[in-house]
Amino acid sequence: MSIFQRIFFSRTKKENELFLPLPCVELTNDRATFPTLQHTLDNFINCCDFVHRTLPEINVDLVYFGHLLGNDEFMRDIATPFANIQANEVGQLLQRSQYHQILDSKSLIKGILDGEVAIFHKENVYLINAYKPDSRTVQQSETESVITGPHDSFLETAAINLSLIRRRVKSSHLKVLKLEVGEVTKSDVYILYIDGIVNMEYVNELVKRIKSIEIDAVHDGNMLVQYIDDCPNSLFPLFPASERTDSAVSRLVAGRVLAILDGSPSVISAPASFFEFFSSPDDYYQRWALGTATRALRFIAFLVTVTFTSLYVSVTTYHYEMIPETLLLTITESRSRVPFPPIYEALLMEIMIELLREAGARLPTKIGQTIGIVGGIVIGQAAVQAGFTSNILIIAVASSAIASFVIPSYIMSASIRLIRFGLIILAGTLGNLGLMMGIALIIIHLSGLTSLNTSYLTPISPMNFKDWRDVFVRAPFWALKERPSQSRSPNLIRNKMKK
Amino acid sequence: MHKPILFCSILIVMFGIVGCGDQRILEKLGFTHTTSYDLLPNENNGTEDKLMISVSIPKADPDGPTKRETLTAVSTTSKTAKIMLSRKTELSLVSGQLRNTLFGLTLAQKGLWEHIDTLVRDPAISQRVKVTVVNGNAHDLLVKDYLPHPRTGKYIDRMLEKEGKAQTVPHITLFEFTRDLFDDGIDPVAPMIRSVNEDVVIDGIALFNEDRYITKINSDKLLIFSILRGNFKEGELSVDLKSEGEHVMLSSLVSKRKIKVQSSGHNQFSIDINISLKGSILEYIGNLHLSDEMDRKKLENSISEYIQIEMKDMVTKMQKSKVDSLGLGIRIRNSLSYSEWTNLVWKNIYPNIEVRCNVQTKIKDYGKFEK
Amino acid sequence: MKKVKERLAPFHITILIFMIQTGVVIFSLPRLLAQNFGYNGWLAIVIFTCISTFNIFLISLVHRLGKGISIFDILENSLPKFVAYTIYFVMISIWSMLGCIVAKQYVIVFQMIAFPTTHPMFFKALVDIIAYLLITKGIYNISKAATSFFWIVIWMVLLLTFFIHDFEWGNLTPYLFKGSTSFLKGGLDCYTAFLGYEIALLLIPFAENHKKFIKAVHIGNLITAITYLLVCFVCFGFFSFGQLTRLKYPLLDLLSFIKLPFIERLENLLYGFFLFTMLITIVMYCWSAIETLQRILPKVKANWLTVFVLGTTFLIAWIPDVIGKVEKWLQFLGYAEACVAFGLPTLILIILRIRKGH
Repeated sequence: MSIFQRIFFSRTKKENELFLPLPCVELTNDRATFPTLQHTLDNFINCCDFVHRTLPEINVDLVYFGHLLGNDEFMRDIATPFANIQANEVGQLLQRSQYHQILDSKSLIKGILDGEVAIFHKENVYLINAYKPDSRTVQQSETESVITGPHDSFLETAAINLSLIRRRVKSSHLKVLKLEVGEVTKSDVYILYIDGIVNMEYVNELVKRIKSIEIDAVHDGNMLVQYIDDCPNSLFPLFPASERTDSAVSRLVAGRVLAILDGSPSVISAPASFFEFFSSPDDYYQRWALGTATRALRFIAFLVTVTFTSLYVSVTTYHYEMIPETLLLTITESRSRVPFPPIYEALLMEIMIELLREAGARLPTKIGQTIGIVGGIVIGQAAVQAGFTSNILIIAVASSAIASFVIPSYIMSASIRLIRFGLIILAGTLGNLGLMMGIALIIIHLSGLTSLNTSYLTPISPMNFKDWRDVFVRAPFWALKERPSQSRSPNLIRNKMKK
Repeated sequence: MHKPILFCSILIVMFGIVGCGDQRILEKLGFTHTTSYDLLPNENNGTEDKLMISVSIPKADPDGPTKRETLTAVSTTSKTAKIMLSRKTELSLVSGQLRNTLFGLTLAQKGLWEHIDTLVRDPAISQRVKVTVVNGNAHDLLVKDYLPHPRTGKYIDRMLEKEGKAQTVPHITLFEFTRDLFDDGIDPVAPMIRSVNEDVVIDGIALFNEDRYITKINSDKLLIFSILRGNFKEGELSVDLKSEGEHVMLSSLVSKRKIKVQSSGHNQFSIDINISLKGSILEYIGNLHLSDEMDRKKLENSISEYIQIEMKDMVTKMQKSKVDSLGLGIRIRNSLSYSEWTNLVWKNIYPNIEVRCNVQTKIKDYGKFEK
Repeated sequence: MKKVKERLAPFHITILIFMIQTGVVIFSLPRLLAQNFGYNGWLAIVIFTCISTFNIFLISLVHRLGKGISIFDILENSLPKFVAYTIYFVMISIWSMLGCIVAKQYVIVFQMIAFPTTHPMFFKALVDIIAYLLITKGIYNISKAATSFFWIVIWMVLLLTFFIHDFEWGNLTPYLFKGSTSFLKGGLDCYTAFLGYEIALLLIPFAENHKKFIKAVHIGNLITAITYLLVCFVCFGFFSFGQLTRLKYPLLDLLSFIKLPFIERLENLLYGFFLFTMLITIVMYCWSAIETLQRILPKVKANWLTVFVLGTTFLIAWIPDVIGKVEKWLQFLGYAEACVAFGLPTLILIILRIRKGH
């Protein structure tokens, strides 16, 4: 054997060593054979939470996962009927509609994993659903809260989420499709839409995309979104994920499609436009003038958070003529103590604020408040007195940070924070022209984005003046009679639905 | 799509580093706030007159010894002077925050355009820079510190702003000066200041023919000039009437000016300046009763007469000096055809024009006291 | 969902035409009008609008007679390949160089305000990179970006209200077009500001609504004309005539005059907004050049053609390096473009007539 062969052989030997047949079954069980008790028990070997009960007097075996079952369901459908029954009545009992007969082992395994109880009687296997997992109670969402309006939010259990939506949309036109995602986790995804309002192309496109996901596990709705993205490399979120029930329902009625992932409280909706991330349910629960003012405030906050610090950097580095006389000496005085050029000063403070923010998200609540005070007041003040930064910059950075929280969607505000850094660097190196180039790049990037094959910047481009009534202002309800143009609904008028 | 973005972002970052050249970091700059130009008398029969140029730079350092720095240099042009000045300070001198320029009287008599040309040409200098003439030596005025008042540059600047708002002195900036200079129907004016002991006072209005200083209007006649120049609000006029011991003070004046041009024959023009004044009387020393309507009418007529006489004197003075500071040429031009106007030499015709001033005064109210 | 081949709605065509036409000439337009048309020269804009409307009318004839086919098809079907390719080559060179020199002019004027010692080609390279990123996205995305840019830029017209206070009717003398004037050559210089609508010829196959297409182009032209009219009118009333003929970039002076309590000398910032209109001008001219080039070399990918065209024009743009030369080049290219604007539709009309006659 040559050295080459020796290396070659030894390598394959190593590979072979790794592939010892293990007692566990393969992760995807494709063979559909007739189900037997022994086969099922073999499948679930080494699963100590798997329960196998034998009732020999009636020749019935029960297999299930005990912790997935609800007590009431188990009592009602399994324990009580089988407790006092004769051996010859079992067959008749099992004819009832809630007991499904199963003919292939693949469905049987899936059913047991879904929280159903498998009943083996003679040669037949039946499944009955007794799934009632533990979950939180319906409470207020922590990340999205409004001042007035419903406070209940979605939970991790899809059944509860579906119930929350069904309660609010009492229409038989609300359709729910069930898909599966994740090769190992096999999580359920429910697609919701209102038939007659939604454009079926969107539903089909969404279903197609979800079906084409090939990954072993999807943990959250926000993660699911990234797998079905049009442009996964973009900074901006293309589908909003929300925990609120009222916003989910309003999106359904507007002609959008919802996707609920079992195991995640975030419900995603498609298609979406950039401006949808700037609207909050609060706008609709207040008077329209207030809603409009709040929306205007949000857009101003968006501008402030993106450009304020960069403007400060570019003016103090390149364009001193823009400062009015009254402010000039104040700014110069506060800057004269700082040893670095404005761009480094700004980046330092911005990074500091980001550290504080990130740390605040991880800390337990009791310490979190202390850090907030320490960070905000003490560090800011100490930084100025030590000569690290100037007063004006603290104001600029702090107002940018506060403005970024005005944006209702957390994911969008996170993306915007990232843009801010890019703009600061551009402004610090190229002045106002750099700032404008940065804005041009952002707009060019946004113009090319599509959300489920519709333009992301609707209603600016393509232009639709009618949609402006609900995007930039909040028109009074007598003026909001049509659904958004992005949903391309066959039923545009909100008042009546075609039967 | 992935690769081009990567490539472009790398390029942008690289270029970004290169572009750090023309920085003007704020605290390293010396902002010239006020500049003064003076003409030095010609020594040794040299070909060019020398200029003395001083700049006043406010300092931002609160722990420093002075609130501002003044630098002086002598050279032939202002830009050469700037180079000489920058050798004396640790800050980089920039002129983007220039607010006021002071010109000495002798320089103004020689002609201001060459220096204003530099200021207008520089894109860093704003158009709102004020133009002021100093009755005397501008350098001495600028360099001195007037103790009860703030920094000299700021003091002069604020005073001119305030007076400009109160309409006693016209608010003249580079923009207005250049605009009037290049308009053949009007001549520029500029406020004039003077240093008196520990204060800087407004000494009047400097009248120019093109860009050369000719004469001035004294500080007691400032309001008459404003009335003649255009519509205005908010002013105070003190009138000494003919009869002895009678004084009246008109406040909160609102004045409207209407000019009518009549052409009578070849190059014979007559201009009517109609002024309607409205004001409140808050101070009156005399025999008339303000609450009586007849008396008020008498007072109005007296005031109108007085103002008419003053205005006529002023216009005659301007005509004699051949300075058209009121813009009468614009009015004449608007009444003639183009060829007529170009064939006219306005400055020659101007002294011979008949100008009639008509004033109508109305007393709006006389305070809250009946007498 | 099958991706529909996106088409341009009439509103977007209007905005696109407006953004192409507003380029860098607007800064010197009031002075050019004053120098070449004398007193009250702003009225000449009305004349130019009529000329450009007539030109758009020619384009509408092309659109109607050609029944919405792309002009390239018309040219290639009727002329021998050699002739068609020569015409294409001329068009490509004029369009790409025009876009490039407009960018250089913008950069050089910007350097008067800030960054005076940095090499202008450095900024030009950055502008070219952004232009490349936009061109490669296709015409539909270009129009979407143009719409966003439009909304950012259009509010600046409201800034004209700052000048109402100092506006003097006396500055607008009663004379019309008097003074030292040069109507023809000067007129051609000023007309460069209106060029841009001829790109509509290439937009014909992309239009969504053929009935409203020409109306959209007309409205875009009118919006440009009204904007120019307002700006020039204010300039003529705000500055005196002599002053206006001497100010190199009156619009910059106008912008620098605005003073707000918390910020002043806004021309530093607002000049950057004009980057957007100038960007669309460059992008659309380069896009037209690349569309034409693709007819000659259909097998090469559009991205590489873009790189080639932008790179070549970038290298050629090194040659004029001082402001006088750049302005001369811009003038010359403006003349050439005016010839193309009139000549191309005329040529196509002649071809269509001959074909109809057959």
